[in-house]
Amino acid sequence: MMEQVKPPRSAFINFPLGHQCGRPHDRDLQMRILRDALKILSSASKPGEIVDLSYEWGEPFDWPGFMQDLMQMLEEEGSPVQEWKPKEK
Amino acid sequence: MKYVDYVSGLNEWYQSQGFPPYRWSVFDSSPWASMKKPLTEATIALISSAGIFRDDQEPFDPWSVNDLSFREIPKETPLQRLKLHDNYFDHRDALKDLNCVFPLERLRELEEERYIGRLASPAITLGMGRLYKRTALQTETVPKIVEVLRKQDADAVLLVAA
Repeated sequence: MMEQVKPPRSAFINFPLGHQCGRPHDRDLQMRILRDALKILSSASKPGEIVDLSYEWGEPFDWPGFMQDLMQMLEEEGSPVQEWKPKEK
Repeated sequence: MKYVDYVSGLNEWYQSQGFPPYRWSVFDSSPWASMKKPLTEATIALISSAGIFRDDQEPFDPWSVNDLSFREIPKETPLQRLKLHDNYFDHRDALKDLNCVFPLERLRELEEERYIGRLASPAITLGMGRLYKRTALQTETVPKIVEVLRKQDADAVLLVAA
């Protein structure tokens, strides 16, 4: 997505969505990620540069897993699945 | 490890619900301004799109569609006063610790230890959800956000997309 939108500088971290700045209550990891991301402000040399941060999540994750987790979350919280529907033609 | 292709996944999901293909933003070029001062002297602003608001502010709809509004979160706000309404991602870890998607406490600490010059206040939060009004976002919402950033004398913005 960042390749298409082309923000001036980006940090990519290969963590599941919802963990852009790290794991919960892991202050040390969150600080390291933020420092690495902020460094790019000065280190990037060309517009649209994307830096891959070399952090490993440590467990496999994929799209079907994302949807399963989302559905599980909605069930746990008693929240409805999105009710918004396309307009009838 | 392989990257998750969220764009293809979301396209399939939305189309299976009967929506037309989502038109993702694509730009050919990238705006650029070089950093004119070191991080230790720079004012850094924080923008998050994770549906975060203070308990006395108008809540975001967790299933937002076309929400062009934003909230202003003063930087000293305790995280206990913040809520997150966004069902487009698994927010369970973020509810345990908002810093996962809205690193307000961490940035305050980076300011304290002089890693950055100053954290701008307020931080800006959006809950736009699925957005089919890109032009309105660009011509109505963004200028208002830029105004806030200018008042803060922000040198750079950390945008945490959700």
